[in-house]
Amino acid sequence: MKLTFRSALVAGAIVTLAALSLTACAAGGTAGSTSGATTADDSLTKVQQAGTLTVGTEGTYRPFSFHENGAGDITGYDVDVVKAVAAKLGVTATFQETQWDGIFAGLEAGRFDAIANQVSITPERTAKYTFSTPYTYSTGVIVVKSDNTSITSFESLSGKTTAQSLTSNWNTLATQSGANVQAVEGWAQSVALVEQGRVDATINDNLTFLDYKKNNDASGLKVAATTTDKSKSALAFAGGSTALATAVDTALADLAADGTLTSISEKYFGADVSK
Amino acid sequence: MTQSNWDLALSALGPILMGAIQGTIPLALVSFALGLVLALVLALMRLSRQRWLSAIARVFISIVRGTPLLVQLFVIFYGLPSLGLLIDPWPSAVIAFSINVGGYAAEVIRAAILSVPQGQWEAAWMVGMSRRKALTRIILPQAARVSVPPLSNTFISLVKDTSLASLILVTELFRQAQKVAAFSQEFMLLYLEAALVYWVICLVLSTVQGRLEKRLDRYVAH
Repeated sequence: MKLTFRSALVAGAIVTLAALSLTACAAGGTAGSTSGATTADDSLTKVQQAGTLTVGTEGTYRPFSFHENGAGDITGYDVDVVKAVAAKLGVTATFQETQWDGIFAGLEAGRFDAIANQVSITPERTAKYTFSTPYTYSTGVIVVKSDNTSITSFESLSGKTTAQSLTSNWNTLATQSGANVQAVEGWAQSVALVEQGRVDATINDNLTFLDYKKNNDASGLKVAATTTDKSKSALAFAGGSTALATAVDTALADLAADGTLTSISEKYFGADVSK
Repeated sequence: MTQSNWDLALSALGPILMGAIQGTIPLALVSFALGLVLALVLALMRLSRQRWLSAIARVFISIVRGTPLLVQLFVIFYGLPSLGLLIDPWPSAVIAFSINVGGYAAEVIRAAILSVPQGQWEAAWMVGMSRRKALTRIILPQAARVSVPPLSNTFISLVKDTSLASLILVTELFRQAQKVAAFSQEFMLLYLEAALVYWVICLVLSTVQGRLEKRLDRYVAH
């Protein structure tokens, strides 16, 4: 009994270690292709052959990627932009709805060709993924309860609790501000936790909060502070997908020139956030 | 495996094990203990000759087994506040997991009690034992032995189900792995590492199950 257990343990450990080193090698492989030289970049031809651009998005992030009234087809600013881009590429867009915290893992695993979900361009992400040119410029806001007087700036978040998705850039910002971050799945949970008084604040896109105010009774909430820099959001591709990114950049430039991006932006925000 | 990946896996082991020690293991132990008590009560209610007691237990078990654990967690954590009931993450998780274990284990215990031959009851009555005494002294010890393998299954499932608590702000094993993964963007590595730790915990539980089965064998009439 004892012996079999021990040998099972050893065998299992060996198998797991082998699996771990395999993945590490695989990860090394993608890192290698990011730097360019060894593997051919077939990202664009793959999409063209398939005839579809498969895009990962949350589907629960108003007004960027959501279902109107919780039902019906997926819609939103990011969704419309991707559809327009796909049309320019001569393919159709299909959307894979994924929780934000699994979205980069999904991209790496090749479950989709791109992420369209207000992915902010950050140095850490640029090191690992390929980005298109930005299609949204916006600011981040700290959302707190309206009776909160202790949070007035990003510095005052120090020691406070915020709710964020772990892999979001707002999490990075909150952590850098010294906040204790509670991990949640998305904006809907974050804002619920602030309203329920379970966390002090949440940081998110200003546009998200404006949209939330438009559609909900947000009288109990207010903006405590706004970022000074504008964050730039773009489509994210797997590292090394240069051919696909370049084609998308051309499409985005065309869509900017012919006014499509402006009109999509006006439709959702009543203002042009694409410049 | 490259040096940096080894380093990352090694440095993540600390937080992951802390997550197991502070979150996963106590959460599973407390919820299982409470769940077993609830399960025993439910099983006895189901076996009761009082129709209404049996009916209440039947409906409760049906709801627990007929709804996803994740939904139960969200109802308790995100839903109840709208009724003015704000429960902290840890107690919310314990409540949801105990109720869940209670629902499943009740059926295990009921089946185990029924599996003890009727003759054992009759023998107990013959020597003048009351129904209650026959149950606690003769039937339950034998039922306990029968229910060890299926209850171990329930417990092992529970250990893994506690990963859902990460969705209601409980810091446990999987959440710790996700934190490192979010920071390093090394998802596969960290998820596999988390899987490995869960697996080791469950391996230990399997050996405990084996020992427990041997020990309880002495209660069984051969």
